[in-house]
Amino acid sequence: MRNAGFKDGAKAALPIVLGYLPVGMAFGILARKAGLNPFEVAFMSLLVYAGASQFLAIEMILKGMIWFPIVLTTFFINLRHLLMSSTISLYFNRNPLRKIGLLSAQLTDESFAVAMSNTSKIENRPEYLFGLQMTSHLAWISGSVGGAFFGPLIKSSEYGLPFSLPALFICLLVFQIRSTHHFWMMIVAGVFSLFFKWAFPGNWYILLAALLSSGMGVMVELVVRKKEG
Amino acid sequence: MKQETLWIIVGMAVVTFLPRFLPMALLTKWTIPRKIKLGLEYIPVAILSAIVFPILFFDGEGALGIQPQFLFSAIPVFIFAWKVKSLWGSVILGMLIFWGLGFIL
Repeated sequence: MRNAGFKDGAKAALPIVLGYLPVGMAFGILARKAGLNPFEVAFMSLLVYAGASQFLAIEMILKGMIWFPIVLTTFFINLRHLLMSSTISLYFNRNPLRKIGLLSAQLTDESFAVAMSNTSKIENRPEYLFGLQMTSHLAWISGSVGGAFFGPLIKSSEYGLPFSLPALFICLLVFQIRSTHHFWMMIVAGVFSLFFKWAFPGNWYILLAALLSSGMGVMVELVVRKKEG
Repeated sequence: MKQETLWIIVGMAVVTFLPRFLPMALLTKWTIPRKIKLGLEYIPVAILSAIVFPILFFDGEGALGIQPQFLFSAIPVFIFAWKVKSLWGSVILGMLIFWGLGFIL
């Protein structure tokens, strides 16, 4: 029965694999351009395993930034997993900590979305979620390492490659817009980022703009809710 | 492995693992305070927007001004991502348009 659960989960991961392999390759290619070697690429995809923040780290390494702002930005961008982890914990409340540790380490937006699409399959079936997440993680690592090896064969200014990361970020941004509030948040944060980048040296504009605008968003929302009472 | 890269990777791994792990480990009755929850809703949009806008409106030397090749590639990608919801499709489309615009602009 345990194996059947793992297999089921692995099968459910197929659409994720199709997405992770090519995006992982893009990550590997860009990481090489930023000076990481294939081992470092594999190590990052194994340990961090969070697409948006890995791309972001590459962008920041390219800009010559040190570890601290990179780690801080990663922290803020991956804080969103708090919500997913809290949600998914409802379905695994009788499992030992080592199982929970491994399950939670491989939690991603995509595997969460697939897991939540049919919660009857995951309820107290850690092996199903293992199958789903292990398969997805393996696809991410394989894609990254593949990209890292093929990366140096490709000229970085050709074939629209300078736009690959911006396009990825635009798409991830669009996926986050789930209400008019999110849309206005995009505009406000965008304008702040332009101002901060223009006004201050260095690369603090991302964090400054993000924290200030989301803080303002929370205040506006609280005021609106209070009025609606 | 370079020391700096090692720090970056290990640091990223730790701060990524904790928000994934702690709610599941502490499980039971902990609920996220409402203000933090609201903020978490907005942070990904805000961070991504703060990355994207400067790419479209700053040149490589850090001077403010519209970047036509980037801006005119960004708009169709935005619409495509909105309508089709495909990450990989958006990236390919964006690269093709950007590449094509390179010949025109």
